[in-house]
Amino acid sequence: MKKLTSTWAGLLLWVLGLLLVPLFADNNWIFIMSYFAIYAVVSLSQDVVLGRAGMYDMGHAVYFGIGAYTTAILNTQYGVPILWTLPIAVVVSALFGALLSAPIVKLRGDYLLVATIGFNEIFHMALVNDVGGITGGPDGIYGIEAPSLFGHQIMSQGGIFVLNWILLGIVLLLMNNLENSRLGRVFRYLKEDELAATTLGVNARYYKILAFALGAGIAGAAGTLFTSLLQSVSPGAFVFTESVTLFAIVIVGGQASIPGVLLGAVLMFVVPQVFRDLAEYRYFVFGLAMIVIMVLRPQGILPRRRRLE
Amino acid sequence: MNDNSTPLLQLDSVGINFGGLRAVDDLNLSIKKGDVVGLIGPNGAGKTTVFNLITGVYKPTDGVIRWKGEPISGLPPYRIAQRRILRTFQTIRLFSGMSVLENVLAGQHMETHQTWLSGLLSLPKQRREEKALRKSCMEILEQLDLASIAHEEATSLPYGIQRRVEMARTLAAKPELLILDEPAAGLNDSESVELNKTILGIRDQGVTVILVEHDMNVVMNVTDHICVINFGRKIAEGGPEDIRNNPQVIEAYLGSDDDDDEEAA
Repeated sequence: MKKLTSTWAGLLLWVLGLLLVPLFADNNWIFIMSYFAIYAVVSLSQDVVLGRAGMYDMGHAVYFGIGAYTTAILNTQYGVPILWTLPIAVVVSALFGALLSAPIVKLRGDYLLVATIGFNEIFHMALVNDVGGITGGPDGIYGIEAPSLFGHQIMSQGGIFVLNWILLGIVLLLMNNLENSRLGRVFRYLKEDELAATTLGVNARYYKILAFALGAGIAGAAGTLFTSLLQSVSPGAFVFTESVTLFAIVIVGGQASIPGVLLGAVLMFVVPQVFRDLAEYRYFVFGLAMIVIMVLRPQGILPRRRRLE
Repeated sequence: MNDNSTPLLQLDSVGINFGGLRAVDDLNLSIKKGDVVGLIGPNGAGKTTVFNLITGVYKPTDGVIRWKGEPISGLPPYRIAQRRILRTFQTIRLFSGMSVLENVLAGQHMETHQTWLSGLLSLPKQRREEKALRKSCMEILEQLDLASIAHEEATSLPYGIQRRVEMARTLAAKPELLILDEPAAGLNDSESVELNKTILGIRDQGVTVILVEHDMNVVMNVTDHICVINFGRKIAEGGPEDIRNNPQVIEAYLGSDDDDDEEAA
């Protein structure tokens, strides 16, 4: 029953946000809420790998970036409309997630973490050095179109917001379904005790690669919307420190906890946007907050509710 | 005992080295369908290593393990499990933070047919399957008298009950061969009597059982056949009566201490 009410509360908040933000907020706030929706999706995708399947992926910005660049390249070079690039970005990112994780999923937590940092560094270098002549180098890619729906370009901030908010809603729905499926359970079994799971017939390697592919695919979708929100991409958004921030959101917010991850995304991406004037102090405050939370509340601010069925 | 049928499981000169240590050496073992086989020996004799070899946790350095005549040594554990060879652990390995029911659901992994996509989309067929899975899990829990605690956190239960939950999880995977690693460890007397009944009940359902156990009440009462190993080698094999009177076994297993009359009683 408790689970049901929290689901309804979440749905209510989502609908209220969808209706009220475009009507009542000014453009700056609408932008911030669009930005939040995108980073909430990326954080939820990081949580699939880290919080649910228990793999220390500290290079998740790579998949977000692959989605963003896929959209940017397809749109500027080949004129593919933004929303058409979305499924392609999902597939390309998921493929990279599967390919990059395949050789490393057998590694123990800390070794896997170092390997994923390596991926992030290589990815960033590749973008900056304009590998293949398609990434635009350090300046990135400019002049990306606004998304269009049924032939109408969505130019207004409100329209972009609705689009991003709908993607967030879809991802939240998928995460909710994951809880009640074999896939979600297998992730938890692998996180808790991989040996016990494999002796019950779980192909650990398959499911770990699947976790990476799923997380990467969702991050790729967020990448498409990120590109269309800023109408440009550059390597700076996908550096290693971004991956660290995503990692911290899940740990500080609460692993495998949807409210926890959303709160983490608010703290790390919305609050800094609001308090821009305090730029110099905010990292000090965040750093301190992270230390305090890890010491006093290692399970995260809003940990996964012990929902035993 | 008829020797003309193919053994269910056969270990053929199986051995494994850990660095310089020969943990199991030239072990031959043949297990017939429907038997309850005891694997006994002093601490450090290599019993659990034998289980780890059978279930694919370790790969044998020498020899072959055959399942119904087919070589299975070197396969990963999940492929061994797919042949319905399932095990429990000496140190109970339940999933923490999950209920008894969710733990037993893990045993039904191979019985579950939903794809990952149907789960993400929560399709009607997937939801029906989830319901059916819970129902069959509850049936297994009822058989083992665990239904009343189905929704409690598994790892916070008393030790003896955790052992039964692990057994339920393994049974949910529909074993043909059930491998029990010290199932009576940590159980009190009444619980171990209960365990004997459970093991014999499982055998009566047509499941073959191999167990490692130190509790002689369990070993002598439920096994049809016993294999004794010491320092990784088989030193005796036979029915419970033969083993109980075998001087070599008494010396290796019990040492030279003749005060322990439990076996002779």
